[in-house]
Amino acid sequence: MTVDAQLIEHMMEPKNYGTLENSNSEGLGKNPENGEKVIVYLQVMEEEGESVIEDISFQAIGCSTTIVAGSMITQEARGLSFKGATNLITATMKILDKVPPEDAACSEMVALALKASLETYRLRQEESDHPSVTYQISNDCTPKEEEKN
Amino acid sequence: MKALAISMHEAWLATLMAGFMSNTSSKQKLFDFSDILFRHFTWIEAEMVMAKEPYDYNREAIPIKVEKLSVILHNIIQRLNQIDLQLAVVSPDLSHRITHDIQYITGVLAQLPDEEVTAFNTLRKLDNIELSSEATDALTLFLFEESYKEYELIMIYNYLKAHSDDAYINRIFQILVDESFFHLKSFGDMMAKMGILGVPRTIFKEMYQVEDIEAFFLAGIDEELAAKEECKKLSDAVATNSPQLAQFFDFINNQENYHISLMKDALAHWEKEKNV
Repeated sequence: MTVDAQLIEHMMEPKNYGTLENSNSEGLGKNPENGEKVIVYLQVMEEEGESVIEDISFQAIGCSTTIVAGSMITQEARGLSFKGATNLITATMKILDKVPPEDAACSEMVALALKASLETYRLRQEESDHPSVTYQISNDCTPKEEEKN
Repeated sequence: MKALAISMHEAWLATLMAGFMSNTSSKQKLFDFSDILFRHFTWIEAEMVMAKEPYDYNREAIPIKVEKLSVILHNIIQRLNQIDLQLAVVSPDLSHRITHDIQYITGVLAQLPDEEVTAFNTLRKLDNIELSSEATDALTLFLFEESYKEYELIMIYNYLKAHSDDAYINRIFQILVDESFFHLKSFGDMMAKMGILGVPRTIFKEMYQVEDIEAFFLAGIDEELAAKEECKKLSDAVATNSPQLAQFFDFINNQENYHISLMKDALAHWEKEKNV
């Protein structure tokens, strides 16, 4: 990972880290290979017929890359409508298609946790006590040289 | 008591961070005070365990980015004065102890000389050590990753110790807490010197509210082995530029061997006790 000023800023002071009081949805992104996971908490409001992310936070069992990705993606997602957040997830996944799987896994976990939290909210509109949705990542974060051993 | 424990947890970390920021003789005082506040935290925790009061290690974010040490010292004094008002919830002896400590500590903190803080300048330079940009990046990532892990280990072993009455295993947990404190202080100090100091993030409950202790020990041994590997990689990365720094990471690497041995002991003891 190349370390630049923006990355250091997110590592020193991750944005939106922790649980969210008054959240009304949450979703998980998991790496089944190593137990790493991300939870995204949302406080969603209905505004003019649209669901909007009023507040957002995340927690992670993962490496610094996951924390940086969580910090950046949740910053982007705050204030977005569900349509906007879905576009953000799609754009993130498209970018991740172009990077090596071991570099993509952490960001994918965050994007999927956000996607899962949107889905949880939708499902809770029909069934208020619906459990949190979980998605598993498709990328493997094991570096190639470690895989050989 | 839970609110008091959270306040003490935050005051402990704020004081530890202030210790990292100081470049004068105040540093040792702040480290000593942070150690005392951590002990207060564990004593409050013990009373919560005795009272069967549910709790976790969640806390608020702790803003520490200051330009002058006096700003965070003032903040710590405020935190401690606030704690002093919450002490009615603990036993009279503990309340008496903490309130007198707070009285002394706040008095000393108010008298500490002010200092310019460089712990957040992000220059990523260490005194008298010239590192290549690759080595600097490797060191930066290592410090963020490992400082969090050491904080996580302190909290995990502390929680497990608070909920165990097995003297053999508790002796091991205490050693591992003490060792992680040394590592956290070493890494935190280095982060402050490099201008990249940050407060470790909060920990997921399931990391310390362990359900399967055997799996925990086995994962812990794997984690110590991974930490050794990280130290070795870092030592190799900085060796060309700084043999002195490489020696420090070899020294940390070697310490992990004993941690692995202790965790194997703990696992064997646990299995033996289970089969009695």
